[in-house]
Amino acid sequence: MLRLPSVGRTLAGAAKGGLAPANPVRAPARAASNMVEVFVDGKPVEVDPGTTVLQACEKAGVQIPRFCYHERLSVAGNCRMCLVEIEKAPKPVAACAMPVMKGWNILTNSEKTRKAREGVMEFLLANHPLDCPICDQGGECDLQDQSMQFGSDRSRFSEGKRAVEDKNIGPLIKTIMTRCIQCTRCVRFASEIAGVEDLGTTGRGNDLQIGTYVEKMFMSELSGNVIDVCPVGALTSKPYAFTARPWETRKTESIDVLDALGSNIVVSTRGGEVMRVMPRLHEDINEEWISDKTRFAYDGLKRQRLTQPLVKDGSGQLTPTSWEEALTRVAGALQSVRGSEVAAVAGGMADAEALVSLKDLLNRLDSENLCTEEVFPMAGAGTDLRSNYLLNTRIAGIEESDLLLLVGTNPRYEAPLFNARVRKSWLHNELRVAMVGHQVDLTYTYDHLGEETSVLKELADGTHPFCQVLAAAKRPVVVVGSSALQREDGAAILSAVSTIAQNARTSSGVEDGWKVLSVLHRVASQVAALDLGYRAGVDAIRKNPPKVLFLLGADAGCISRADLPKDCFVIYQGHHGDIGATMADVVLPGAAYTEKNGTYVNTEGRSQHTRVAVTPPGMARDDWKILRAVSELAGVTLPYDSLDEVRSRLAEVSPNLVRYDDVEGANYFKQAVELATMVNQDLIAAPLVPPQVSAKDFYMTDSISRASQTMAKDLRFALIVGFKFLLYVSITAKCVCVCVCVCVDVVSESCQWLKRS
Amino acid sequence: MASAAATRTAAGAAKIVKPIFSRDVDEAKRRVRELYRAWYREIPNTVTMYHLDITIRQGRDKVREMFDKNKNVTDPRVIDMLVIKGKIDLQETIHVWKQRTHLMRYFHETEEPRANDFLSKFYKGHDP
Amino acid sequence: MFLSAAVRSAVSQTARQVRGLHQSATRSAGGLFVHRDTPDNNPDTPFEFTEENKKRVQAILSQYPEGHKQAATIPVLDLAQRQHGWLPISAMNKVAEVLGVAPMRVYEVATFYTMFLRQPVGKYFIQVCTTTPCMLCNSDSILEAIQNKLGIKVGETTPDKMFTLIEVECLGACVNAPMVQINDNYYEDLTPKDIEVIIDELKAGRVPPPGPRNGRFSCEPVGGLTSLKGPPPGPGFGVRSDL
Repeated sequence: MLRLPSVGRTLAGAAKGGLAPANPVRAPARAASNMVEVFVDGKPVEVDPGTTVLQACEKAGVQIPRFCYHERLSVAGNCRMCLVEIEKAPKPVAACAMPVMKGWNILTNSEKTRKAREGVMEFLLANHPLDCPICDQGGECDLQDQSMQFGSDRSRFSEGKRAVEDKNIGPLIKTIMTRCIQCTRCVRFASEIAGVEDLGTTGRGNDLQIGTYVEKMFMSELSGNVIDVCPVGALTSKPYAFTARPWETRKTESIDVLDALGSNIVVSTRGGEVMRVMPRLHEDINEEWISDKTRFAYDGLKRQRLTQPLVKDGSGQLTPTSWEEALTRVAGALQSVRGSEVAAVAGGMADAEALVSLKDLLNRLDSENLCTEEVFPMAGAGTDLRSNYLLNTRIAGIEESDLLLLVGTNPRYEAPLFNARVRKSWLHNELRVAMVGHQVDLTYTYDHLGEETSVLKELADGTHPFCQVLAAAKRPVVVVGSSALQREDGAAILSAVSTIAQNARTSSGVEDGWKVLSVLHRVASQVAALDLGYRAGVDAIRKNPPKVLFLLGADAGCISRADLPKDCFVIYQGHHGDIGATMADVVLPGAAYTEKNGTYVNTEGRSQHTRVAVTPPGMARDDWKILRAVSELAGVTLPYDSLDEVRSRLAEVSPNLVRYDDVEGANYFKQAVELATMVNQDLIAAPLVPPQVSAKDFYMTDSISRASQTMAKDLRFALIVGFKFLLYVSITAKCVCVCVCVCVDVVSESCQWLKRS
Repeated sequence: MASAAATRTAAGAAKIVKPIFSRDVDEAKRRVRELYRAWYREIPNTVTMYHLDITIRQGRDKVREMFDKNKNVTDPRVIDMLVIKGKIDLQETIHVWKQRTHLMRYFHETEEPRANDFLSKFYKGHDP
Repeated sequence: MFLSAAVRSAVSQTARQVRGLHQSATRSAGGLFVHRDTPDNNPDTPFEFTEENKKRVQAILSQYPEGHKQAATIPVLDLAQRQHGWLPISAMNKVAEVLGVAPMRVYEVATFYTMFLRQPVGKYFIQVCTTTPCMLCNSDSILEAIQNKLGIKVGETTPDKMFTLIEVECLGACVNAPMVQINDNYYEDLTPKDIEVIIDELKAGRVPPPGPRNGRFSCEPVGGLTSLKGPPPGPGFGVRSDL
């Protein structure tokens, strides 16, 4: 049996020699393509030179067991699990680290290979505790699975096992270091992907251990991914500890809405409760990572929830009531107003279905006052041209570019996975990064051009020294943060940035398909809302206060009771009792992103949809259904009764919204620049400081993460870490406010209502 | 020609199926009538035995309704099968192997009609 | 207690249930592989390269191209240790700062090599080899002599912070067994009396000359040369006469 492959190969060689003149096409093609032919268990595979044995086997459809090898990390070759025999080689080779050579016959299931695996497995298990029954990794553990498949049924090791002290690396990751098999995946993840070199191996030999050496928190916004990367139960999730087993949870493939990237996630649920959130592979968005907020804010879905309709009674208290009464009150209020007397504000987590329903409802009441909470400059082309508000380059496009100019943004906390992508490109593709804005730690080095707006002006005029670098770039990208565009002079900034982008584009001579100007949003609903024709920003409402105001999950607090006339009737529809609900006269409980089929468009214009993982709590309902019910009672029935009908309405308004996982590219950059030059606005001198500067600003940005205790704990740790820093930096009023909020949050959740009102 | 012959034999073969009891529809109908008669006669007993809160007339109407439900069945085998089931049911009723609720279930007293309009479905629950 | 031990030995004799219990203490050369803040070893422990050493650091760094300064970790750590006597956490942080790498990368190196001392040691760091060849040449007597002389046990430091004693594995001078390493110097072919003399000298502030103590120059045979005694034979030595 073992001889067969070589026999086959000699036969094939003989045949090739014999048939060479008869088959003249194939041989030159092979020579020209410069491919290497190897054999996996006798089966020929053609691979690129430099391919490792493991990759060649993968190509042949043979899975080699591995622990330390991870395709997105550098090769370490220290677990030795991937040992395979190569015919005529003196000893087994580590498949993950060995490049293939021409004509090798890789034996993945030979006696020697199996023996090698069994031996390695025995060594690994020698020091691994037998605590699978109490281990959180149980059921999804690589070591468990592979020892069942490749290991021996007994061990010859009779000495005492090594024990390693557990490390405390923060409130998110639980460490049980005795279980560690020293694959160093987490170390490589931290230094390569996360860019936080806090983890390492200390000691040597039997005493080698993974840790931080000094007592230290693993401060990264991507830290949760080491849980997935760890092949054993050494690094597990602290909030998820001992709550569920993988085989008893139901997995729902969904989308994250806590930032504007729309990371693909899997929501694990058990008994109508979200147990955890894990990443799902999407090469163009999140690869296989997710940010800590995405992963750990799910406990916020169980707290502070609105579970029944609330109506303000005579004493000004919100009291629980039935849907009939709440909807009648809402419909009554809506019936009494027309046109500009009614307005709506959509929050950052509203899905496109709800947005279109709300728009249809208000349009039927002759009102066009539909705004998003997030501000976006409306001067010039404003939101009329999609190219103005999309991340046109796309997230994966960063890998192709050679120069990135960031303007007024801190991608590390506004869009952690975009930042990870930039870091990847910076590390492997020699991407050069420059930044106009507040100097922050982005995990990679960049040219800091200054934080004044005057720099932008110089860049646009071509007088700044950096312009030469910009002009020399082959594939430049200019990313402007949405927060920079929310200043008073947002339109002027957008105009300056688009001029810079257009100049860079012409000087680089890049092909037509390459897009330079990109906008990085921070909230999930913004692009869909702008696609649907919402106006960005609540200025219109502030100037022209309505009689009835409809808040669709608007929790950023950009409009308050003080901006509205006293008799203004405020309706809040959303899922959390946060800032919006406290100022409302009627509260309609909606569904959170894990509880509805909602369409979201991410910052690059990619439409994706969430799926129902659990039912909405209590009497809460799908958001578009609430709006549909309101419309019927208000006498302006919306013409859709089912999700499919809403989606076909979405397709009518903007077809790209229902072309899921498809990016509808934007064009008309030139026109946008022309329109932008007509903007009559001056840049103000205030420096460009994004709202999320350090880790403490990352964890609580929306109603879900504000309700999450895990996030509160994390924030507290971040604050302790940043405490010394805070002492020296002048503490702004906002900062103090955050501190106070957090303390209260941690002490008692019930105080939340009090403190905000 | 050959194919036509094959079709004919196939059709002939399809016609000749093993009967359950009845050889043709008429015989099946006779069995149905017998069963109906038996039920018709049994209803007064049933009403008293089970202390049903219905009149005999209502009971017989219900029997007729149940028979009418299958009036478009023409296959004698299917009719036979239904008759067998009816007989089983009848026997269970006669021997009081059933309980009141089993009989009253024919009258759908506790069933509520499902809402069809959007609003009532909305009030009802998450996804009715 | 005794009874159970007796029972166990009986059982082990009869059933041959050998459990290789790890009897000797597992002696990690550098102690713990995590850092614990102590009064004399914490991130605020003062450490700064002297002006002289700063020049040396620059000289070391200049050997490596830009982007590969990490390669200088070991020499710079060594320099720091020579300056301070041992490596407090602050020194490692300083080295990381000088090299422009993450502190963790320096900790990894410092914990890997046993010659980097992450715990305070006395002025004279006595390492007694007790591996087999030395042990056969009675290194135990040397160890005992030191312990008696200094009044400390293995792993301890004298109260005056002058001497630290540890037991180490082979230092590669087996031919001159038994031997002791004190700081950078090897003292070989020792007798208990020799080591006492050496310690007395050190106490007096003098560094005795390193090397063998039994009159040997280096590692030549003790009883004089056994081969290569005469002058080297010339060309043609041992060649057949008829050629």
